[in-house]
Amino acid sequence: MSQVVSATAKQLIGESQLSRVIDEEVECASVLALEGDLFQISFHAPELSRRAQPGEFAQIWVEQTHTPLLRRPYSFSRADPGTGEIAFYVGVVGEGSRRLRGFAPGQRARILGPLGRGFSLPQRPGRSVLISGGLGAAPFPLLAQVLLQRGEEVAWINGARTSSELYPEELVPEAVNQVIRFTEDASAGSLGRVTAGLGPQLSGTQRVYACGPNPMLAAVFQSIAEAASKLAPAPELEVSIEAPMGCGFGTCLGCAVPLCQSHGGPPLFGLCCRQGPVFPAAMLDWEGLLAQPAHLE
Amino acid sequence: MSAISPALDPRVDLGRGLVLANPVGVASGTFGFGFEAEAMNGIDHLGAIFSKGTTLRPREGNRPPRIAETAAGMLNSIGLQNPGVEVVARDYAPRWARWTVPVIVNVAGSDINEYVEVVSRLDGVEGVSGLELNISCPNIAHGLDFGTEPGAAARCVAEVRAATTLPLVVKLSPNVTDVAEVARAVEDAGADALSAVNTYVGMKISLDRQQPVLPGMGMGGLSGPAVKPLALAVVAKVRRAIAIPLIGIGGIATTADALEFLVAGADAVQVGTANFNNPGVSREIVAGCLAYGAQLRLHRFSELRWQELDHPGSQEPDPDQD
Repeated sequence: MSQVVSATAKQLIGESQLSRVIDEEVECASVLALEGDLFQISFHAPELSRRAQPGEFAQIWVEQTHTPLLRRPYSFSRADPGTGEIAFYVGVVGEGSRRLRGFAPGQRARILGPLGRGFSLPQRPGRSVLISGGLGAAPFPLLAQVLLQRGEEVAWINGARTSSELYPEELVPEAVNQVIRFTEDASAGSLGRVTAGLGPQLSGTQRVYACGPNPMLAAVFQSIAEAASKLAPAPELEVSIEAPMGCGFGTCLGCAVPLCQSHGGPPLFGLCCRQGPVFPAAMLDWEGLLAQPAHLE
Repeated sequence: MSAISPALDPRVDLGRGLVLANPVGVASGTFGFGFEAEAMNGIDHLGAIFSKGTTLRPREGNRPPRIAETAAGMLNSIGLQNPGVEVVARDYAPRWARWTVPVIVNVAGSDINEYVEVVSRLDGVEGVSGLELNISCPNIAHGLDFGTEPGAAARCVAEVRAATTLPLVVKLSPNVTDVAEVARAVEDAGADALSAVNTYVGMKISLDRQQPVLPGMGMGGLSGPAVKPLALAVVAKVRRAIAIPLIGIGGIATTADALEFLVAGADAVQVGTANFNNPGVSREIVAGCLAYGAQLRLHRFSELRWQELDHPGSQEPDPDQD
């Protein structure tokens, strides 16, 4: 599965701009409880709402305790300079997200951002397909909104294992042209995985943006690679990936991500927090990525 | 806001002309080469920046996962990812030369020749204010050997000393039987100052997978608030063993933590893991220390030191013997 690309892949990926980063103590505006342990939490953060771009993330320090010690990264789901609010789509994974779900309006958290390199945006309008799996929907409301503002036609393939894990339709921006749902148990939308819905969408599409579990992203990459010969030109695929992350701004070197290169060579790593979390899919060593955990343990 | 006492001189002399504007630095491996912080929070408040460990050739580092979270701490197994000394000397040092804060390059190697080659390349390079010799990185093969045996540590330091005119700090490993013995050997071999401690060897187990979280043998370096009491004890032991300046490191996350190390015998401190979750923490700690010094009407921070430490003949309780 891993492709042969130049060993200078690292040099081909830009880095995030840290001069835009701020660390603010902000107030929770609302917590919208969704199915199961999913929720959307909003903060009143006017400056961050102006700075956040699609695909960028924030490091949230829920409570300034020693355990858990490190902040956790969350993609901006919404950023509205009009209301001054930012929002994150979250599922309970560990202690920090469990405490976040219990937040009340007015409760404060420290938020560092915007961090990372986000999605690249089209210079000229065309057609984009967004593909999400489960919590991977998180960055797409903001991405869809910005793409639509630029005159892009946007289709969203929204998948999950089961309906209760599906990103809620009522939170999808209304102007999205087409929403196609897939669940692995047919409890909502069509039966199957998101890749089943991808094929018919590729023709006439310039850009595919994917976010979800790393195995899903690998499958999307594979599908597009297989279809590429029949498409001229093949759409560009950008993926927002997960890696165990420490600082989020490039100093701990914890969030190494394997980049692809000639087989048999020494390993080549990029940093998820500076060169990602959004990567051109062809730059990644997918076998290596699938062999590593997605979350900090 | 209390004004800075005109009586307080916050400077710290680490020897051979290396004078820090205040006792608060940032630890190697927690601050990159300073450029991220320069862009985000600024660096002018710092007493010193101790760079990421630098080796002769570029290193890509270990395969992931490289970090794991533990109770009040974290484990890392980065594997000394760095661009190599040539890039550091050629591309980074000219940028440091424009800064007021001194940058002390942390140097790592797998044998004595490699240390000597790296420090020779850095000698006389404008922008490099000093060296911190990492004879104690637990995350690369053989990296621990020099730091754990007093004779080997002394040989390494003596050869490096002969190869450079730069101020030389030697960073001690806590993963040793008798840290005082290593400290004395390194001082005798020509170190200008010591820093203590590097990370503690630790392990985290995944019960789900019934194996360590970190790859390889599963071990990494433990840092964060969990190690502070251990590090304070090492600093006090080393302080009694040596006469040269000592930099305390280990779980410093607040002004009070930094001051505690000064009481325990450190002349300066390095803030480490706390830089990850709070990139503004070093600025808070510098301001906090200066305010504390002014409030107590100190002339020098060394006045905070526990007075027992200055009486080497006094009885040392040794819980290791229990």
